[in-house]
Amino acid sequence: MKNKLGIGIAALAAATLGLSGCAAQSSETIVIGSQAYYSNEIVAEAYAIALEDAGFSVERNFSLGQRDVYVPALIAGEVDLFPEYTGNLLQYFDPSASQTEAGAVYEALAAALPEGLVALAMSPATDQDSYNVTREFAEANNLSNIADLAALGTVKLGGAPELAERPYGPAGLLSVYGVSVEFEATGDTTVEALVAGLVDMANVYSADPRISQLGLVTLGDPSGLFLASNLVPIAKATLDQRAKDVVNAVSQAMTAADLVEMNVRSVEEQLPASRIARDWLVSKGLID
Amino acid sequence: MFDVPDFFGWLTEAANWEGRYGIPNLLSEHLRITLVSILLAALLALPIGIAIGHFQKGASLVVLLGSASRAIPTMGLLFALVMLLGIEMRDAAATIALMTIAFPPLLTGAYAGFSAIERHIIDSATAQGLTRWQLIRLVELPLSYPAIIGGFRVAWIQVVSTVVLAPLVGLGGLGFGIIQGLALRNFDQVVASALLIVLVTVIGDQLLGFAQKSQALRLGNLSGGKIK
Repeated sequence: MKNKLGIGIAALAAATLGLSGCAAQSSETIVIGSQAYYSNEIVAEAYAIALEDAGFSVERNFSLGQRDVYVPALIAGEVDLFPEYTGNLLQYFDPSASQTEAGAVYEALAAALPEGLVALAMSPATDQDSYNVTREFAEANNLSNIADLAALGTVKLGGAPELAERPYGPAGLLSVYGVSVEFEATGDTTVEALVAGLVDMANVYSADPRISQLGLVTLGDPSGLFLASNLVPIAKATLDQRAKDVVNAVSQAMTAADLVEMNVRSVEEQLPASRIARDWLVSKGLID
Repeated sequence: MFDVPDFFGWLTEAANWEGRYGIPNLLSEHLRITLVSILLAALLALPIGIAIGHFQKGASLVVLLGSASRAIPTMGLLFALVMLLGIEMRDAAATIALMTIAFPPLLTGAYAGFSAIERHIIDSATAQGLTRWQLIRLVELPLSYPAIIGGFRVAWIQVVSTVVLAPLVGLGGLGFGIIQGLALRNFDQVVASALLIVLVTVIGDQLLGFAQKSQALRLGNLSGGKIK
């Protein structure tokens, strides 16, 4: 018992030292963080490999959990670089933000970031909320964008519990598109509920491989109901300019299709993030 | 992070008491899932516990079943069952997952109640000509009520607090307010929902405790004031 406690304290001490250690030497080693989300980790790994290839030494501090956990670490300067999503991060810093178009969201985010943090080049790749229906439902009702739903009467919408209160949730659907929905909180089983027909339409992240795997139809959003959420590297302002250039090149080269394809490889082939990221960087000619 | 007036304000806001995800609906759903799971688990656990306690054979089965089902991670089982049975059967999946945590205390409660009865009581009942069924129904079962209700108390606390996971698979219950509130960073909602769950848990436990105590008292009076 006493021994176990001792080991625990030692481990804790080592972890603390590790964290404070990386803050201290950040001038030489670039600390890269990522969310506890496989897709985000692949992107972080792409930054890391490209930086290593350019001669920088890199420390990977991946799977740091969700925004509530890692944003304070970013602000405190414990992490130098982090792949983020413009819309979702903007909403975090400014919950009342009303921009939805990609460029406007990026500019608003740049302005909303706390001092010491900068948004590097925005990627064309997005991973954002989107409304999806099954192919059968789309064909039966002749749907291609959200506005087409208005003719259907009440639509059953599935999504995470918080969707009920989001600006793009039931209230936004009604005010922007005149679509009335009955909300059903389907939680982590949203896609399953959609396929099983328990709901008519579901909120799924646009880079989710299951959209193509299951043949779901993503409805168009011509009036910009959803906040655009492009991938964007968030860096410490003091990060080396040459390192920023390397990350900018990676960010700008990544397309939405690339991101989905990498996610598919992770889910279907169960490959490690480093392998997927390296293959992609090579395919783009960013590393040899 | 939160003030008392704020979460009280959340509780008293009319909008939070209406509709599919209003407090009354979530509360009744929470209670329904809990009670159905415990009752179904009791239908399985009590006969087994009573049989093992009466015949005093297979006590190791109690230990085995009791500890094996305690070792099952409820959340993992919940997701596995949803995938296995299909999302349409999520009610059944949640009920089965919750039954596995209600089962051990109910089983051990019944078994312990029957095992604790002193041999001479059973012998004198048999000597008076009671059949096996009469012995169980008229003597052993009434003497075991406090222990059996004790099993229900433990099952209640464990199940009512685990139903909080139900919204993860698209069911309701008071856990909805916690999961939604965390995502929206609405801590008044989180605190209010958590307090409601605590309140429901404590009230249920106190009611069962009251029933348990009155049974124990009744037995005490029967045996001349001696409470065992």
